Amino acid sequence: MSEPSIAGYRQVEEVVWELPPTARADMRVPARVFADEELIGKIAADRSLEQLQNVATLPGIADAALAMPDIHQGYGFPVGGVAATEAPDGVISPGGVGYDINCGVRLLALPLTAAELGARSEPLVHEISRRVPVGAGQGGALTLKGAALDRVLEDGPSALLRKHGIGAEEDIEHTESGGRLEGADPAAVSERARARGADQLGTLGSGNHFLELQQVAKVLDPEGAAAFGLRQEQVTVLIHSGSRGFGHQICTDYVRRMDAVQSRYKIVLPDRQLACAPLSSPEGGSYLAAMAAAANFAWGNRAVLAHRVREAVARVLGREAASATRQVYDVAHNVAKLEQHRGRTLCVHRKGATRAFPPGSEEIPGAYRATGQPVFIPGSMGTSSFVLAGRDGAMEQSFGTTCHGAGRQMSRTVARRQISGAELRGRLEAQGIVVRCPSNRGLAEEAPFAYKDVERVVEVVERAGLAVRVAQLVPLGVVKG
Amino acid sequence: MAYRWIEHTAELELEIEAATEEAVFADAVQAFAELVDDDGRAEPVTFELRLDGHDRADLLAQWLDELVYQAEIEALVPDETKRIELSDDGVSATLRCHRAQPRHVIKGATYHRLSFEPAGEGYRATVVLDV
Repeated sequence: MSEPSIAGYRQVEEVVWELPPTARADMRVPARVFADEELIGKIAADRSLEQLQNVATLPGIADAALAMPDIHQGYGFPVGGVAATEAPDGVISPGGVGYDINCGVRLLALPLTAAELGARSEPLVHEISRRVPVGAGQGGALTLKGAALDRVLEDGPSALLRKHGIGAEEDIEHTESGGRLEGADPAAVSERARARGADQLGTLGSGNHFLELQQVAKVLDPEGAAAFGLRQEQVTVLIHSGSRGFGHQICTDYVRRMDAVQSRYKIVLPDRQLACAPLSSPEGGSYLAAMAAAANFAWGNRAVLAHRVREAVARVLGREAASATRQVYDVAHNVAKLEQHRGRTLCVHRKGATRAFPPGSEEIPGAYRATGQPVFIPGSMGTSSFVLAGRDGAMEQSFGTTCHGAGRQMSRTVARRQISGAELRGRLEAQGIVVRCPSNRGLAEEAPFAYKDVERVVEVVERAGLAVRVAQLVPLGVVKG
Repeated sequence: MAYRWIEHTAELELEIEAATEEAVFADAVQAFAELVDDDGRAEPVTFELRLDGHDRADLLAQWLDELVYQAEIEALVPDETKRIELSDDGVSATLRCHRAQPRHVIKGATYHRLSFEPAGEGYRATVVLDV
């Protein structure tokens, strides 16, 4: 009997599906998906599997084009895709990082339980919403120009700590790559990007970006949770945002610039959004420098957002609670990084995918090194989020990568047809979840049923050995644009 | 004038059919205005733009990106394309706009499935927008 197959992808392991490179003349490596039978069926409903085959055509791609179980159709590259290209002549593709460069998740742990917080959850969510601007194109939080902005682009949150007293040393230690990608060059960033980003540090944005007040509903790995400083019923704040208009403009600028030089490098692509250039080329080097600046900007953005949360905690719960609010970690899920894997220098593009290094990695802060890198998987609004820890299987199978979230399964219009913003707000409030969102339309578009089931997604990455579940978080309140 | 919006799971596609290449660009202005306008009429502004691109599709993506940028940074909503001139590798145009409070529903134009081709006796273009 032959192995199960969907859209040409054969089930090669319990939760791994593969399409051989012989499936299409332009594929250089296999396309491989981590999914169970139910998720692969849902994944096959959009064009993401075809997009993964397109990724497999990139010059210099190593081993396989990979997809996490939350993969869905994106612009050119699928969201939930991983592509590692070999330096120096493999390519870098801005579309393989995405428009929201270093979109990511930061988790703060407050020094109290949900029961101790009690009825103060509503004033706390309200106070956070007063301090955090939301919505697309929205600025107004902290305006930095000229050399002050350059310092954040070069150094990320450490520049904000040094010059503006925002954040703490421990926050920086508990941030992927210390909140700073090497090689950032403000000169590689356009004036337009600077104009769009100048007043957007400390702003949440729109779409699926949100800030959630939560409690630890279940501790799933007591040792891991203890290492991360998380306990049953503890109050947490999860911040999901990125590089805003700044990163978007950088992606736009470099997709265009690389699109213009495809013939110079004799690159033929099935989709113009995959536009790329060799890592060793001037265009590739310039994009890496601009992308690093955007990544540092995004870490700066989440640092200012965390600072605003601490200000709100100080006002509602007192200064002691604010100073004891600690950052568990901060992870990126849209970025490309040069990493060493099995003796090779690879540029690992993670678009809607999270680094998940295993126990022992020197990239992990000392306090977490025996546990594995913390990973945060936000669910859709009003549902569970998960804390995971990276495992050895990620290094063996996915260039040290796991999933990033739930993944959209319904268009915004269809979601709005199924529920009004007011009705959804009522339902969430009936569950005891405080909602602060200025747009009923935006709220309805992000209805939980518009997304895949995040619990199934994290179950698959655990079965695949990429990461292990540490804790489940449920919302007490949500702030969104 | 013929354009339509096609919504996919996580994206918005603009499809334009027009008799001339210039009309494709003018229709893109109208489509954009429909999406972002707040119906508030305010100070009229004339906006001149000039863009270089290596093909028509690239120019159309840049054209829409310019509208997004002017809406976000200058709060400009376009009303009408007063003048448009296409050359082999560029476009120059005069737009009548008004300063308003445009809705920020579009973040930019992508190159995903980007096309601009002759179709029948006119032209057909598609642009997927990041929303």
